[in-house]
Amino acid sequence: MSARDVEQRAAAWIVQRDQPDWTSDNDAELRGWLELDHAHKAAFWRLDHGWRAADRLVALKQKTATVTATARRTRWRYAAMAMAACLICALALTVMLGIGRNRAGDPTPVRFATAVGGQRDVTLADGSRIKLNTDSALVAEVDRTSRDVRLERGEAFFDIAHDAQHPFVIRAGDRRITVLGTRFSVRRDGATVRVAVVEGRVRVEDSESSAGAAAIVTAGNVAVAHGASLLVVDRSPQVVDDTLSWRRGRLTFDQTMLGDAVAEFNRYNRQQIRVNDDRAARIRIGGSFEATNSAAFARLLHTAFGLDVRTEGDTIIISS
Amino acid sequence: MMGDDEILRRWFVDEVLPLERDLERFIARHCRNRDEVADLRQETYARMLAGAAAERPRSARAFLFTVARNTLIDRARRAKIVSFEQVADIDIAFDGDWDATERGLTARDELRRAMAGLDLLPARCREVVRLRKVEGLDIRETAARLGVGRHTVERQLTLGLRAIANYMLGGEGRIVRTAAGQRDKDTGS
Repeated sequence: MSARDVEQRAAAWIVQRDQPDWTSDNDAELRGWLELDHAHKAAFWRLDHGWRAADRLVALKQKTATVTATARRTRWRYAAMAMAACLICALALTVMLGIGRNRAGDPTPVRFATAVGGQRDVTLADGSRIKLNTDSALVAEVDRTSRDVRLERGEAFFDIAHDAQHPFVIRAGDRRITVLGTRFSVRRDGATVRVAVVEGRVRVEDSESSAGAAAIVTAGNVAVAHGASLLVVDRSPQVVDDTLSWRRGRLTFDQTMLGDAVAEFNRYNRQQIRVNDDRAARIRIGGSFEATNSAAFARLLHTAFGLDVRTEGDTIIISS
Repeated sequence: MMGDDEILRRWFVDEVLPLERDLERFIARHCRNRDEVADLRQETYARMLAGAAAERPRSARAFLFTVARNTLIDRARRAKIVSFEQVADIDIAFDGDWDATERGLTARDELRRAMAGLDLLPARCREVVRLRKVEGLDIRETAARLGVGRHTVERQLTLGLRAIANYMLGGEGRIVRTAAGQRDKDTGS
């Protein structure tokens, strides 16, 4: 395969990956292809990075005319005219379909997912950005007038474009989180939903009844919702920032019990860690670790605490 | 291992890709065939990743240009188009010589650059890319909107993606067709 063919193949992967019908099987296939050759990785990572750098184009959404306005060189004049014609057609089509559009007024849902150990940056149609953490999935239905996201599983960090007219609504399990423009994360573990706010304020409430618990969560706060209860903990901004260190590929612990720390690690790795006895599980640890390197973490436990570490198949077993 | 891979990817994206413009200029100095520059750049990246996977170099820049130099020398040997003396001239005096690389474009620069890149695309390709990036349409929706086949949309989007990515990394943002791309160039217009 020539370098150009590899690049073409890599580009085709990226195009496919961003389609709504992308499956986890496709994902495995893609990873297989990347593993084959460093040339594949180089081409894929390069194109992915460059292509994503153009995500800001979404800012043109409400003023399509600027695109043609910048086509200033004369040799682009015909192209510009052709495009204007396209726009007119598109507009006409929109007007014609206007009634249908009102009836089914929701934007097309787009699903984004990550595998264990993966992360993914997504820019939505309204300019908001989402960073999806390991083993997570969400469905976004976002356009200019309606902003709706459903977190199916896992965790995501949201950087929401400010738009007071159109609240951004996130559903996670039976919780609804409403924001106007801010930065925060939502994590879902089954029925438990955790919201950590870095900047601004968000409202957390029951999806179904307005009678259920509701709370305004502000910067530095972490809200934990489970069933009928909703607990808001006031943490320092530093602590909130630590819980979000996964965005930089790291896990940060402070006086965390080993059992809990291990559960965190296991979210990011196929190679699972198991703590065999309670005494070891209650050891308090602190520090910042690379999320996808559980082996290094386990080695450290051996060195620092003299814990017994052994590997059985895909599992690292720790005991005192 | 997936973890190592992610670290390698970040290093590549953060440390190496910002040097792409300099790298291409360096290669272009020693290789007159313009089409070959991209191939050599790609080969350099692949070799460099293989090397960096084993041991991460301290300076991405020095490492990248050393690998590029070796790639050029190997090519010259393979092609037997240059004498070995000429090859020896491929110096890696790349420091200070060229403009500082544009690291960390501001949001506004990024948008301006993306718009300029979009502008450079042929009309139909541009519209397909615009519908993807600006309107957020998927292939099926784009095909319906433009009244063309999905295959056409997919091909135009792939070509546009390569050109835009290239432009965002400091390249010329030209459409580069593969042999296969040329063959079915005019299906579904």
